[in-house]
Amino acid sequence: MNRSMIKNDFKRNKTINLTLLLFMMFSAVLAVASVLMVVQTFTSISQLYETAQPPHFLQMHKGEINEEQIDKFMAKNEQVTYSQTIAMIDIFGENLTVVGEDDAYNLADLRLDIGLVKQNRDRDLLLNSNHEKLILNEGEIGIPIILKGMYDMEIGDKIILTANGVREEYIIKEFVLDAQMNSTMASSTRVLLSDVDFEKLYGKVGELEYLIEAYFNDKDQASSFQTIYENSGLPINGQAVTYTMIFLLSALTDIVTVFVLILASMLLIIVSFISIKFTIMAAMEEDVREIGTMKAIGLTYINIRGIYLNKYRVLAFIGVTLGYIIALLSSTAITEHISTTFGKIGLSPLAIISSGVVVCLVYLLIITYCKRVLNKIKNLTVVDALVSGKGFENKTGAVRDGLYKSKKLPVNGLIALREVFYHFKNWVIMFMVMLIVVLIILVPFNLLHTFEAPEFITYMGSSLEDILIEVETGENLETNYDKVTQLLSKDSSVNNYFENRTIRVAATDSAGGAMNINIDVGENAGNELQYLDGKAPQGENEIAVSFINADEMGIETGNAIELLTGEQVQQFLVSGVYQDVTSGGKTAKSKYNFPGVDVHKYSFSVNLKEDADMKNKADEWAGSLGAGVTVDPMEEFINQTLGGVAKQLKTIVFALVIIGACLAMLITVLFLKLRLAKDSSEIAVLKAIGFSVQDIYEQYMIKIGFTSLLGITAGIIATDLLGERIVNAGLMMSGLGVKEVSLVENPVIEYIIVPVLLIGLVMLVTRIVMRTIKKYNIISVINE
Amino acid sequence: MKTILEVKNLCKSYENIRVLSDVSFKVGEGEFIAIMGPSGSGKSTLLYNISGMDRPTSGEVVLCEKEISKLPDEIMSEVRLKQMGFIFQHAYLLKNLSIRDNIVLPGFEAGVLDREQVNQKADALMRKTGISNIANHDIKKVSGGQLQRAAICRALINQPDILFADEPTGALNSSTTKEVMDIINNVYTDGTTVIIVTHDAKVASRACKVIYLIDGNIHDALELGKYKADEATSATREKRLAQWLEKMGF
Repeated sequence: MNRSMIKNDFKRNKTINLTLLLFMMFSAVLAVASVLMVVQTFTSISQLYETAQPPHFLQMHKGEINEEQIDKFMAKNEQVTYSQTIAMIDIFGENLTVVGEDDAYNLADLRLDIGLVKQNRDRDLLLNSNHEKLILNEGEIGIPIILKGMYDMEIGDKIILTANGVREEYIIKEFVLDAQMNSTMASSTRVLLSDVDFEKLYGKVGELEYLIEAYFNDKDQASSFQTIYENSGLPINGQAVTYTMIFLLSALTDIVTVFVLILASMLLIIVSFISIKFTIMAAMEEDVREIGTMKAIGLTYINIRGIYLNKYRVLAFIGVTLGYIIALLSSTAITEHISTTFGKIGLSPLAIISSGVVVCLVYLLIITYCKRVLNKIKNLTVVDALVSGKGFENKTGAVRDGLYKSKKLPVNGLIALREVFYHFKNWVIMFMVMLIVVLIILVPFNLLHTFEAPEFITYMGSSLEDILIEVETGENLETNYDKVTQLLSKDSSVNNYFENRTIRVAATDSAGGAMNINIDVGENAGNELQYLDGKAPQGENEIAVSFINADEMGIETGNAIELLTGEQVQQFLVSGVYQDVTSGGKTAKSKYNFPGVDVHKYSFSVNLKEDADMKNKADEWAGSLGAGVTVDPMEEFINQTLGGVAKQLKTIVFALVIIGACLAMLITVLFLKLRLAKDSSEIAVLKAIGFSVQDIYEQYMIKIGFTSLLGITAGIIATDLLGERIVNAGLMMSGLGVKEVSLVENPVIEYIIVPVLLIGLVMLVTRIVMRTIKKYNIISVINE
Repeated sequence: MKTILEVKNLCKSYENIRVLSDVSFKVGEGEFIAIMGPSGSGKSTLLYNISGMDRPTSGEVVLCEKEISKLPDEIMSEVRLKQMGFIFQHAYLLKNLSIRDNIVLPGFEAGVLDREQVNQKADALMRKTGISNIANHDIKKVSGGQLQRAAICRALINQPDILFADEPTGALNSSTTKEVMDIINNVYTDGTTVIIVTHDAKVASRACKVIYLIDGNIHDALELGKYKADEATSATREKRLAQWLEKMGF
């Protein structure tokens, strides 16, 4: 009996069943897609890391080295299981010109340092997209994949290198996956040459930089090793990086993507479930007489629920199976960015199994949810179903008297607003959907806008000024420093500037072990940063530390710490703990000038006079200061550093706007159709007593518009209240140097464009759907 | 007597099935007409077509010297709102409004009187029909007779030129039927034209004229003259009508 009833039901209620099927499928697609993204991201990264084997500890060094001394140190150190020193020829973007099929361009605007390298033998390998060690022939070049994204290069394009009177031409053979320098947040990027070509250039062009790499049994030993290494007197003329930091920098874009997609998926699944409930209720309302009859002839609640449940089991099974298949088939598109960045790998068994588990969970969740909705059958009496016509309506809702008291409000508005206020439950779906759609669109948008905002520099360990000049570690550090100070003191367009010196001193970690911390020293050091607590250092005996450092050292604001500068121990008071995404989040700021301690880096934050153009000035200075000094307008600096994340996030935000808008329209159509079907007799009565079709249009436009507006407003408030918490929870988990970001809103988008767009679309579809009321007539109601 | 409604050669078909064919009659201002006939004779269809609820397939309906059967929806709604009142077998009140709100709603929508006047009018109507005590009640909590009285108040709130009633007592018991018919009779005596469709000879006996329909045609009509409330006259009218209906095969 069940089978034939289900079959008949599918035939009779095609639209409702199809809608239900779509929502169930949608839930499954989203859940599976999220799982695939998460698993594939982490599997791809770990596979890439397994093959490429990036170092657990890396010290970069510009200038001469004594390789023998380094090898001896490494051999003597028990925790080191393998080590190697790699030479890299540093050149600048302007040394490379790309000749494509239709165009030719120079990479002068590239902020990253370019390091020419040859392939390593066993570890720290540069791979092709299939995770294979890339071997090049003479004349071939391997370009890092992040440059492909920035410049649209293609395999086969010609690369011309011109430096120091040398001119070489190469053909792009492959785009290289570099486990170590795979992010725009790293300071350098590696370009692979054949051994022959590398030897040809060695010593003739650019500046030599060495990558001193060490491997351990346990990669967590990197931090303690870093301190030992730095105190050993070996070359440290450059940045030191640990495995964790390499991993974070490389994967940041995809971690942000995964986070945003999971958030959006969760919200969309909630919408799907709301819609499932609504659709089931609509179907039951339609079947209320049949349900009443079944009760009247003696079928129990469990029997009746069973009939419906079997139908939903069939629907849910088909829905989630289709959803699973669709998600698997579109997995290539879902994981495209991961494949591009971390190489092509097929769907891992873990991805297939975990998505299978998730699909089963979605199925069980849907069935449990259906059971809960179907519980309403329990309370339905035969009289409610067949005699009084109350159906599933809530019996407690009393009618609010008072329309007659209104003096001025137009009648249509009055009816509509009373309905929404007094029977809000009937409209809560529109409210919830709009709230969620706004969240789906605005939270990622605000995150994107924050990444793109100049204020984000304050999370990057610097105050917001016009131009940032960095004098990099190297033989010419002091010469370059003098050049910069001379230039700044002479240039009349400079309003003021702050100088920062980065020094390294010894400290103690929370376990009592030795550790080194980098301190930015200067009169403006620590000002205008994002403090989690406390404030910038005021006196020379104060120091502000980044929160990752505070964590590692086990200190908080108000604590005293001892720093070892040479032979002298000096006490400082922690004035505050701030957030910093640069240098792996491990920095400190002080106004004390640490006399006698070597400087590793100089940076200058420059403010120009009002009439000066930042970009032109930065270009002019970069030209006159030459190699070893980077000059960037602050905004440009942020854009280049966070460009990859922002670009990916932009695509996601665009997709989410489309998804959100479509969802708002789809739910409006569905909701309104079901609402109108329910209200058909009331509409017919209104028409019979003299309300025109236009009046009724107006009433529904107000009802839908007002509820949507409430939902949008609630969505905006939720974005403002919860958006930061959601983002911060994600950031906290990511392990970046930021855990409390203040989202920078774009008021025009948040308060005008998104609400107007959503309301506009909802009103448009409402108007279209409302056309159907023309056919509602009191005669058909009487004849029912 | 001035003609308020004239029906000329009215035809109505549903998917090639002719329900009304060539119906013509006139209604004078202040008249009370009852339409009777066996089930399926087209009584309600005739009422809906002459009241603008439905569109005739052909023919004309002239209300207050204006042809209304081809008016655009928007204008027809206004005619229904301001010139016509309608009572159905069931009250069809809006379930989210109280009795009083249901009554004032068309008055507010018409905007002819200000809202204070509409409220006073509603109070007067409710007093007249004996439902003042339930004015602020939920419509689900009052009896069928009270609902029907509220529906009559709603139909009269805009002082219509003509009141249409489709089996207004069809769902009521005999004592409530009498009360409701007394109210409708008062409406008629106050000068409003009334056209009523009914199966009930007792109800029809209140009318000045009874039209009898068979198969979508006016078969015959009976002039009963003005109704008087005394028992003897009522009994005579009812008897006369009963004999006539018997002749019609009712």
